[in-house]
Amino acid sequence: MIQLEYTIASAAKALKEKTVSATELVRAYLDQIRVRNIVLNAFLDVHEGVALEQATESDERRAKGEAFGDLDGIPLAIKDNILIQGTRTTAGSRILETYKATNDATVIKKLRNEGAVFLGKTNMDEFAMGSSTENSAYGPTQHPRDPERVPGGSSGGSACAVAADLCIAALGSDTGGSIRQPAAFCGIVGFKPSYGHVSRSGLIAMASSFDQIGPMTKSVEDASLLFKAIAGSDPLDQTTSMGRPFHPSFPRSLKGVRIGLPKQAWGDGMEAGVREHVEEAIEIIKSLGAVVTEVDLPEAEEALAVYYVLMPCEVSANLERFDGIRYGRRETSGTLLETYLNSRGKGFGEEVRRRVMLGTYALSQGYYDAYYRQAAKVRALIHQAYTRVFEEVDILLTPTTPSTAFKRGEKTDDPLAMYLEDVFTVGANVAGVPSISLSCGDHEGLPVGLQMTAQRFADDELIDAAYAYEQARL
Amino acid sequence: MSVRLFFGYDFAMSIERKEVEHLALLSRIGFSDVELARMEETLDPILAYVGRLSKVDVQGAAEYQDEEPGLGLRADVPSDCEKKVQYIILENFPDKLGDALRVPGVFENPKG
Repeated sequence: MIQLEYTIASAAKALKEKTVSATELVRAYLDQIRVRNIVLNAFLDVHEGVALEQATESDERRAKGEAFGDLDGIPLAIKDNILIQGTRTTAGSRILETYKATNDATVIKKLRNEGAVFLGKTNMDEFAMGSSTENSAYGPTQHPRDPERVPGGSSGGSACAVAADLCIAALGSDTGGSIRQPAAFCGIVGFKPSYGHVSRSGLIAMASSFDQIGPMTKSVEDASLLFKAIAGSDPLDQTTSMGRPFHPSFPRSLKGVRIGLPKQAWGDGMEAGVREHVEEAIEIIKSLGAVVTEVDLPEAEEALAVYYVLMPCEVSANLERFDGIRYGRRETSGTLLETYLNSRGKGFGEEVRRRVMLGTYALSQGYYDAYYRQAAKVRALIHQAYTRVFEEVDILLTPTTPSTAFKRGEKTDDPLAMYLEDVFTVGANVAGVPSISLSCGDHEGLPVGLQMTAQRFADDELIDAAYAYEQARL
Repeated sequence: MSVRLFFGYDFAMSIERKEVEHLALLSRIGFSDVELARMEETLDPILAYVGRLSKVDVQGAAEYQDEEPGLGLRADVPSDCEKKVQYIILENFPDKLGDALRVPGVFENPKG
């Protein structure tokens, strides 16, 4: 009987030592999915046959002494906005109910080259728009510990799958916090790399200047392993760059590391339980030798507003392609215009329609300067502020979210209340810097997330800081 | 209703039904009356929230541009399409005639 609490690192060791085969591992996770997914709804599609074929190929390679590396034979879950050729890719939307991916995303090609196994596609808020996975057209995903609560979003299916041992690790995407927030809610590690480190080719675009794919894992070491496999420049995504080489050292000490606590994050806007656990984390970090100081980042208070102007603008452009013409759901009506109106009206859920409308408004004549241009200028100021603050400190520390996982239905009537869930996470997307969430304890049985953020392309320093804290907590 | 604020921008304080209908048409999204009312109700507080940006002093700031050079633009040259990819593209057509995509007519009243 295989115990399913593997990490990538421990599973890779077990595979190398031949205490388990890839086929046994994948079968065990598929069995677990069969038992638990009907309730959790973490997976939208399970690729059982192909996963077992991939596992067999992995075992054959290993038998010949030709295993690829640590990811060979490791079963992964993939968020359903990342294309796997020939398989259904819905982005959590009804409009793509029948769409089959024409190509592999670059991250998928890279993982195939490492011999990873794809168990299936995970549930998400529609087109990555949401913070609870309640906006999925295929039903919500449950929190892995509490059936009445949300797992967070938009990568809620991936977060739940990792936390509930339905896979060893997963990929998510993060535009305003969609890896880190569900990671915090579900008690796992969620890493949003520096903008430009991971190719977005084959990621269904939400907001192109914010989107990044990243790992969702049980440990910081796993996040680093998975990130190394998917990172790199790609001619299919001209925004990619490796910046500087990624060489984490996995230290146990944080001696001399300068940690900044943005004073704007420490006001009244967080639950007492979250504050208590994050403050405990700060004490642990100090005991590791870090120098912890308060920093002033006033421009960061505007990051959420900047995000909720610029992101809908990019969304409204990116979702124009979903018109029922070449693929997806078409509601054939009298005229071409009616076909567009009905295909998109019936194919898009409420939140998607709202953000497209917001973007259209902010880009329209008479409002473009007041909204889009103003937000783009404030974004530049925020970016400069982050650059300045990273001259004073190496890592910024905040909670990941203002509260632990909320109850299903609690925020669905008030979109603005849902948007405010992103208050600690969006800054990193607006500035293009790397950010990671990891658990700092439980409050009343629910995980609390600690968020660390570093300057752009200092992803290895970020991983090091997160690793040292994580190890000190074990 | 709109208010001319400090930096000279017109800033709509409350979105009206006619504007929501116009946006829906621009967005190419069909709404029922109930859905339009819901949209009108929920857009207002969001616009009020993001309106705080009008108070930020952006004098001298240029719009954000990513300083990282990235890879530059690709050459605009045609490339082959693998048979497998072609097959999936055709499978995805919502309506087809042979290998051709069938679409509603672009012109509502074509000549001839």
